[in-house]
Amino acid sequence: MIYQRSARIAFAVVLAAALPARGQTSRPGTLDGKPNLNGIWQSVGTADWDLEDHSAKAGPFWQYGAIGAIPPGKGVVEGGQIPYLPAALTTKMENASKWPQEDPEAKCYMPGVPRAAYLPYPFQIVQSASDILFVYEYATTNRLINMGKFQEAGADSWMGTSNGHWEGNTLVIDVTGLNGKAWLDRAGDYATSNLHVVERYTLLDADHMTYEATLEDPKVFTRPWKISMPLYRRIEKDAQLLDFKCVPFSEELLYGKYKKHTGD
Amino acid sequence: MRPRSKNAGFSLAVVASIAMLLPVAAAGQTAPAVAKTTSERPYTPPKTAWGDPDLQGVWPGTAMNGVPLERPKYFGTRAVLNDQEYARRVAGHDETEEVDSQEFVTPITKCDPSKGGLGNTPETCANGVRIGPPRYWDEQGQPNRQASLIVDPPDGRTPALTAEAQQAQAERAAARKARPCAGTAAGCHDSWTDDSLWDRCITRGLIGSILPGGYDRGNQIIQGPGYVVIRNEMIHEARVVPLDGRPHLPPEVRSWMGDSRGHWEGNTLVVETTNFSGHIPVANVPTSDDLRVVERFTRVSPDTLEYQATISDPKTWTAPWTIAFPMKQDPKYQLYEYACHEGNYYMYNALTGARAEEKKAAEAAKKAVQ
Repeated sequence: MIYQRSARIAFAVVLAAALPARGQTSRPGTLDGKPNLNGIWQSVGTADWDLEDHSAKAGPFWQYGAIGAIPPGKGVVEGGQIPYLPAALTTKMENASKWPQEDPEAKCYMPGVPRAAYLPYPFQIVQSASDILFVYEYATTNRLINMGKFQEAGADSWMGTSNGHWEGNTLVIDVTGLNGKAWLDRAGDYATSNLHVVERYTLLDADHMTYEATLEDPKVFTRPWKISMPLYRRIEKDAQLLDFKCVPFSEELLYGKYKKHTGD
Repeated sequence: MRPRSKNAGFSLAVVASIAMLLPVAAAGQTAPAVAKTTSERPYTPPKTAWGDPDLQGVWPGTAMNGVPLERPKYFGTRAVLNDQEYARRVAGHDETEEVDSQEFVTPITKCDPSKGGLGNTPETCANGVRIGPPRYWDEQGQPNRQASLIVDPPDGRTPALTAEAQQAQAERAAARKARPCAGTAAGCHDSWTDDSLWDRCITRGLIGSILPGGYDRGNQIIQGPGYVVIRNEMIHEARVVPLDGRPHLPPEVRSWMGDSRGHWEGNTLVVETTNFSGHIPVANVPTSDDLRVVERFTRVSPDTLEYQATISDPKTWTAPWTIAFPMKQDPKYQLYEYACHEGNYYMYNALTGARAEEKKAAEAAKKAVQ
């Protein structure tokens, strides 16, 4: 009896071992002894609209009718509110008053971290034994996670410098060298180039992950604070990242007033 | 899992040995294809954890900088430089290195209107400024004997344009010439659409992103089970290529970089890309939505990746053509984030500069009337 059962388990193990050998898009639970995060993922909530709790409201363009309305959402900030310093809260409110035209997302600028994780576009994790690459559909943004020896940020950038390591089943990514130009959401939440983010990606089951990020920026916040949300695997057949090169969709907004106007 | 009995322990050991055989069997299927390519024993690249040939690494195209896309006509079908031509290329390279090592303006980098070109206009030279980054920002290639990046047709030049493409080219040139802005120093910048996709920081396209050049030419390959990513530093491209044999996207879904599908032929990664949106310049010619690119990546030694791309577009060229060049692994080369659009001051400057020129011309015309 015991032999029969273990033979059945053995057969299943053979199958599991055979799939990666064929180089197919199988989903073995581990890769080279580490959790296998390969796949296309997407956040489903309204975090990109506003990290904090928010009610439904009208959008700025009546022409869009209900399509342009802002959906309600429960916040993803632990403890409810982002702990802004008083002056920083004023800046956030100013940002909000300049939405959407001053939102870097409207300008097709790179989203920064952590916003890239909860934009309303999918992203793909490509994980090998040595490297992990995050590719985001939005603006073909991509960032390499250095899994080797810790590297200092060589220069500030939109997506920062990412150093990763495994803590048990969690991929922990330490992000520094952010240029502070990205916003955190469409509500004007922001940080500066002093921002230090620690992201944590933990598989819950084959198709779900928990995403957590701790944000620390003494110029803007009274203390480090945390967001968390689920990420969902895009399970449809032949799911793939498509091309969302959004520069052409931002040019009228950015340069419209500088183009040649005839007939005036 | 811990074995609960002797029997279970035994069966797990059997499992382990069967599992170990599987990758060998998979590799064995591909062996004949490799053997066909050369009679000598070919280099066998390492394998990834899931058994694919491992092409991962940083492969900048910078080493081939200085090799022209098209071969000068006098070469004919000769694809390599002779000693004299090679000596000239080395001398040019050495001169550039010498100039690059100097901190201050030299006769070569000095602003000079007689030399023409960007930054050498009388106006800029009057200010003593040559526009553009210092020369040492540019990557310099390593001198080599390859005469052109195009290896087929045998004369190393792009094939003739189709009649349709020739006519379109002539019409574009005539339309450009007829515009009032055509003769001005600043050129035409009525709108951003007067500028190239590259200047607008949209993309250089699949071929333009991978060709050797002076800056931001890092290429990196990263692999996951069932996928290869070809990452280009140029305007931060990351082309995710599925290897699972899925069909291309429907023809209605089109994009600047196209839709790539890959498979292994022995140790060579073959990537076929279609579904282009059209208008992407390749060799300075806007291509059509029939563009099809077949690339081949072969790791021929630990630090050399042979790259080949065959470009066909029956609406544009009368025949397919092929570029080929080696990429050298350079672990010290770091790909930086090229936030091109985010820092595109050029577009503001070009548009506001053109408006300022128009204003100046209008005021001058008004004065002339008075």
